[in-house]
Amino acid sequence: MMDAGVHATEAPASVDVLFFRIGEARYGADASQVLRIDRAGFQAKWVEALGMPREGGRALVFHDARGEEAQLCVDEVVGVRPVSVHQLRRVPPAAGQPRGVIGFWLDEGQAPVVLIDLPASLDAPKGQ
Amino acid sequence: MSPTPLQSALASAPDRATQTLSRPEQEFFCFRIGSLKMAFAASHVREVVRFTPLTPLPRTPAFLLGVSGHRGEVLPVVDLLRFLGKGEAKIGPRSRLLIGISGTYVCAFAADQVAGLTRIAVADILPPPLGGDASQEHLDGVVAAANEKDGALHLLNLPKLLQSIRARVVVR
Repeated sequence: MMDAGVHATEAPASVDVLFFRIGEARYGADASQVLRIDRAGFQAKWVEALGMPREGGRALVFHDARGEEAQLCVDEVVGVRPVSVHQLRRVPPAAGQPRGVIGFWLDEGQAPVVLIDLPASLDAPKGQ
Repeated sequence: MSPTPLQSALASAPDRATQTLSRPEQEFFCFRIGSLKMAFAASHVREVVRFTPLTPLPRTPAFLLGVSGHRGEVLPVVDLLRFLGKGEAKIGPRSRLLIGISGTYVCAFAADQVAGLTRIAVADILPPPLGGDASQEHLDGVVAAANEKDGALHLLNLPKLLQSIRARVVVR
């Protein structure tokens, strides 16, 4: 008889993360959430909590919580790279669980990079 | 046979130093932020490290300066002055991060200057002043300074502080 746990999805050894910049801040998101990278159009949104884009010439296109296409305005798309699960960290308990923040990429000797969930980041109430 | 004076004296001798018995002490880790002298119980302080680059965290209160990577761990960094409503820390080259721990909560606190470990007689610890501001709720007590210029040492209750920090972050 198979144990129910056998069917559980095994965590991958690495995951593709798309890194991008908004202003001075560097962020990462699950590359599988991003449908395409586009020029920022009138429908591209910026999120105050992630910082103000300088030019915001690019947009990450993804499906929002309603399954519709949404665009997040960014300054620069740094690229996609596989990140080992050993370099991923959850949000520490004392920091709460800020909406949209799902964890960090911790590269040796570098400041942690905030990893965000794109739909959750965009859905946050205005001003947050 | 009657005991010698030395035997009599030994019979009434205490098991340990009477000074220790009459003046029990606690060990605190002392630091300074701005003009405030503060201390945590030494058992709650894991280590003190140099300030490392911070990553700001979106949608968190201003007292949470960001997160810092240290020995493969991501630590939230708190400005105690902002949290207690006493101003804000000025981060400089001499600033340090004081890593505090209580249960599963680990947090780094910005400090301008770290004085190190000090043993304080329990009898010297005064209760927090009555009618103080909201920051008093995180105080275990205060220790009066030898001279007025130095200012009192504020003994902070780290577990309570971490719970309050967590509560105020989660409210967001």
